Amino acid sequence: MTHGHHHPPATGPEFDSGPPSEHEILSRAMQELLEERGVITAEQVRARMEKFEQDFPYRGQRVIAHAWVDPAFREKLLEDGKAACAEFGIDLEADKLIAVENTPEVHNVVVCTLCSCYPRALLGMPPTWYKSENYRKRVVREPRAVLREFGTVIPDHVSVRVHDSNADMRYVVIPMRPAGTEGWSEERLAALLTRDALVGVTVPKLTA
Amino acid sequence: MSSSPGRFTVGQAVRVKASYPPGHRRTPFYIRGKRGTIERICGSFPNPEELAYGFDGEPKRVLYRVRFPQKEVWPDYRGAERDLLELEIYEHWLDPA
Amino acid sequence: MTHEHHLPSDMGGEEAGPVDTHDHGMKFWEKQANALRGTLTSRRILRLDELRRAAEDLGSRYYELGYFQRTTEALRAVLLEKGFFTEKELEARIAEVRRRYE
Repeated sequence: MTHGHHHPPATGPEFDSGPPSEHEILSRAMQELLEERGVITAEQVRARMEKFEQDFPYRGQRVIAHAWVDPAFREKLLEDGKAACAEFGIDLEADKLIAVENTPEVHNVVVCTLCSCYPRALLGMPPTWYKSENYRKRVVREPRAVLREFGTVIPDHVSVRVHDSNADMRYVVIPMRPAGTEGWSEERLAALLTRDALVGVTVPKLTA
Repeated sequence: MSSSPGRFTVGQAVRVKASYPPGHRRTPFYIRGKRGTIERICGSFPNPEELAYGFDGEPKRVLYRVRFPQKEVWPDYRGAERDLLELEIYEHWLDPA
Repeated sequence: MTHEHHLPSDMGGEEAGPVDTHDHGMKFWEKQANALRGTLTSRRILRLDELRRAAEDLGSRYYELGYFQRTTEALRAVLLEKGFFTEKELEARIAEVRRRYE
């Protein structure tokens, strides 16, 4: 396994430790009532949890790695994100996708200031910082300062573009492919594409 | 990508309405009254302002991506001159600039 | 800038402290709550827009609650609105669930 491969947060135990919170109790109560009334089934909810655990978080890195090696696919992805993913065998369900590319002149970063819109069917669940008030408040107004907090410094001659996914579209960043990766397999390239790089708060790094 | 007929074309200068109606809106406060350019036409979608209250949101409204220079949005913006902010604005929130 | 109808959720551009850049992940119940929400929206039983609006309508509680607390309370509001159960039925089930943990 390549060092630096991004792992989504580890699957917790089947039950959280400690007494349940009021909101956990509320959530379980609502789910049970809906199941009993035939609105949904436990299996549907379980299947969705599995998708979020085992499927969604791994898709983005594969799509972008493919865009790195296949220029025609990259163009398709930029033109129509959802259709390109479908061609690649990935169904984004309700998400509509806009891919934005980093270049030597442009660095992109994504936020949802109004709530937490995020391409979940491509990247899985958003990280806690993405949903945090401080990120939502500040990244539209002082993106360079926020990026520095992630250890990312963008030179002044590079334009920083903040994308606020405030309506129906969802966003993924196509980072620049690092030098020294010539001839790498897509799998090896995918390992460089951390979730944070696909949201735009970091850039892919080659590690030893 | 859908390029449904709408009032505005790519590259056109537009201004977000400085309007503050109550209720569910997808046009953030910080962008109201600001001037930008149409970056692309995203397509037509049911109006979220109606979906939020259980209505079907029809007829669909045209959604645009609009590009704003950061210096236009924040008078005290301290980043680089060419930094941009891009967001999605529904047609009924836009006027020609 | 203050306006009478300034919703707490509409926070872009406000001043705030440093971002906690560590991803704290999700508890099991949060993953399940998220899946419940996704199951309901993907089956068009309710719309994401309705859930957002209900979260926005939490008023001052918006800032007192964490993300999954907000989304859970928003879900309660919308499910009650749509008559999937009554307040009484929900309260009764909550009490029963709570008893199971004792």
